[in-house]
Amino acid sequence: MGYGRYLAIRLLNALLVLALVTLLVSVLFTKVAEEDLKSSIQEQINMKLRANPELQKALAAEPEKLQEWYQREYNRLIHAYGLDKPFWVRVLERTKDTLLLNFGNTKTPIFGETNVKKIIAAAIPRTVLLFTTAQIIVILIGLLLGVKAAQVAGSALDRAVSIIAMLTSSIPMWWFGMIAILIFSFKLGWFPSGGMTSTPPKEGFAYYTDILYHMVLPVGTIVFVLFGGWAWTTRNIMIGTMQEDFIMAARAKGVPERKVIYGHALRAAAPPIITMTIFSLLGSLGGAIITEGVFNWPGMGRLYWTALQQNETRLLMGVTFVTVALYLISMILADLAYGYLDPRVKVGASQQT
Amino acid sequence: MRWVDVKESLKDFWFEFKRQKGGLLGIFLLVLLVFTALAAPYLTEPDIPKKWTTYWEGNPTNVPPVWYNYFTTKKLAAHEVLTYKDVKIINEGEDLGGGIRYYAFEFDYNNRYDLPPKDLIIKNINIKLADLNSPAQIVITVFRPDGQKIELLSADLVEGSIYQIAKMGTVRNNVFNWASQFEDPKNLQGRVETIKSTMDVMAIIFAKAEPGILVNPQPLHGDYKFQVEIFTFNEGDKLDLKPIQVILTGRTYGLMGTDYKGRDLWAGLIWGTRVSLVVGVSVAVLSVLIGIAYGVTSAYLGGWKDEFMQRVNEFVASIPTLPILILLGAAFKGHVTLWTIVFLLVMFGWTGIAKVARSMALQIKEQTYVEAAKALGAGTGRIIFKHIMPQIMPYAFAVMALSVPGAVLTEASLSFLGLGDPTAVTWGQILYDAQTNSATINGYWWWVIPPGLAISLVALTFVLIGVALDRVLNPRLKRL
Repeated sequence: MGYGRYLAIRLLNALLVLALVTLLVSVLFTKVAEEDLKSSIQEQINMKLRANPELQKALAAEPEKLQEWYQREYNRLIHAYGLDKPFWVRVLERTKDTLLLNFGNTKTPIFGETNVKKIIAAAIPRTVLLFTTAQIIVILIGLLLGVKAAQVAGSALDRAVSIIAMLTSSIPMWWFGMIAILIFSFKLGWFPSGGMTSTPPKEGFAYYTDILYHMVLPVGTIVFVLFGGWAWTTRNIMIGTMQEDFIMAARAKGVPERKVIYGHALRAAAPPIITMTIFSLLGSLGGAIITEGVFNWPGMGRLYWTALQQNETRLLMGVTFVTVALYLISMILADLAYGYLDPRVKVGASQQT
Repeated sequence: MRWVDVKESLKDFWFEFKRQKGGLLGIFLLVLLVFTALAAPYLTEPDIPKKWTTYWEGNPTNVPPVWYNYFTTKKLAAHEVLTYKDVKIINEGEDLGGGIRYYAFEFDYNNRYDLPPKDLIIKNINIKLADLNSPAQIVITVFRPDGQKIELLSADLVEGSIYQIAKMGTVRNNVFNWASQFEDPKNLQGRVETIKSTMDVMAIIFAKAEPGILVNPQPLHGDYKFQVEIFTFNEGDKLDLKPIQVILTGRTYGLMGTDYKGRDLWAGLIWGTRVSLVVGVSVAVLSVLIGIAYGVTSAYLGGWKDEFMQRVNEFVASIPTLPILILLGAAFKGHVTLWTIVFLLVMFGWTGIAKVARSMALQIKEQTYVEAAKALGAGTGRIIFKHIMPQIMPYAFAVMALSVPGAVLTEASLSFLGLGDPTAVTWGQILYDAQTNSATINGYWWWVIPPGLAISLVALTFVLIGVALDRVLNPRLKRL
């Protein structure tokens, strides 16, 4: 398979996934929205009748007329909301709207906005700020620790890395966040318990230090839960590479150990590590959905939380669509990077991992 | 395969596995967890799942566990429930003449605490009045260790009466009037109304009779005697004390404290083991089995069928799980059962293992003995199940163990978002309740820490077993 054809297939696959997920979600939510709308229509008709005593009087005498009036109102509203169209037409319309990023409006303002597109546009940079920062720290610590552990395989450090990796991969990140809040904000009072800035926000330079101050706990939580896994994976990749013949050869040649590790082994191990890096950096855009909710950080994760609590179906759809799209983009980029970085890998072979 | 071979290979396996300390720890934890899950009805009560959605009447809300007292300087009262057996019946219907009958019982309470019970609740006095217009009368008096006596309440007793002493206005008045004789008038000056409305009635009943009793009550330790007297005024009145319940609402409760509904968190923790294990194990087993069957079939069929199956696999694999699960959960709101969650997790969980199983099967397929079997006319099914599957199965066990933690964490996350099975007791839901009721902000650590530790423990158990299995079984894999 040529590189171009491979790329085309990946793109096509991603688009297909996106379209089908959107369709599936549209089916679900058209159904949900239909029930919501129908009960809201009943409500509106009743309200109209209650607010108009003359109409009440006129209709009270003749139950037939009341029936007729009721039916007429009902049909009018059903038409106004487009509920008279067949189910599949509505599903397809919704799918099309979502794919074209017309997510509509929320019922109540969130972040002072009702337009879903604007809400999401406001949330993404905040998630990037939090998770990309955390992810970069995780990668740096993980790489350094992993390489060190691989260098001294079997030592106390190496074991500690595996134990930490096992322990932290068993902890739900959001729970660890709750514990961090419990200890560091409410028992010790060192850090704020949530949010991105103080209320009201500070002015000038203080605004930025305030954000940094608010980032300490969530970033600390993310780093703590993720760095062990990174170190462990790096260690495994490095140990695998160090057993290869060219490392033996380099050592036999008398190349200094430092150079063997950082010059030869790490370079050879780079493709999977760089893929992982791209993947987690882009993956961090979606935010660790629940962790943001726990820290009340106004990003994508908090949006999920809010949308669920307030039953904002349009917001829920919008956030999911954007998250899925970002995830798919990162998959493609990671795949491409892999093929580009490691020419030994036959194009397409990365699918088999 | 003969039975002797199986025995032999199991023995070999165990010999290898024994050397994995982490794996042994994992097995030990697993046994412990399975025991807890099975014994849940006996360790707690059998009807916990049904009771879990309700408000637990009579229990204190948001109180820490009893053992918290070991770490605090101020000792907090434990929760106590007294029944007919625990109270001393003095009089059971003595006829005082003129149709009046007299009933009385008393109970002792040893106050060893710095903070006394939150409330004293007397309920289930089973009375049948002949004439609703002439109710019976109840008088509650407390005799304190310092010889003081307070008449807390003298009130009508009608059918179904419940007396929550600390919440009753008359008790509040009586206690205030009694205590103000000891209080320094300077403390009361101009503040009578505020003190009356904010004072902690129970703290004053159990306080030293000295100036400051109303504004800063100091605990008086010792034996208190509570006397409850009941008078009925009609010949036809019937009173039965048998079902009686006296509750001294604690400031601590049980092994793990209570939540905002007064639910015993210990019971929730124990029962949560079931959901966690059932979901984790069934998702892991099902998705691995499906994945292997899919991967092997795909590899064996080859050609365009293989290509097609791989495209389908990639398609499912590229769907990010959690957002979609959240959406589905939101769409099914309230109709999610545990089996729906298992089904959904399996639906998104089989793809990775299918890939690996396929690549393994591709190698095995080329082995000479498979060729030989084919040449001998063995059918597709026979080759797959007899020759390929047994080679992959050992590896499958390791993957099963390693995929449990993911399922456990995902189920907990969904429950934490309020999208779990509403009829099941799960750790995620306990944490969801904790989050929505600001447990972290209020410092209710007993409500937040144990459920999360439990989730981590289950996940860790299977990580340990999985890693050990992987170490033992994978060398065999490399020999393929």
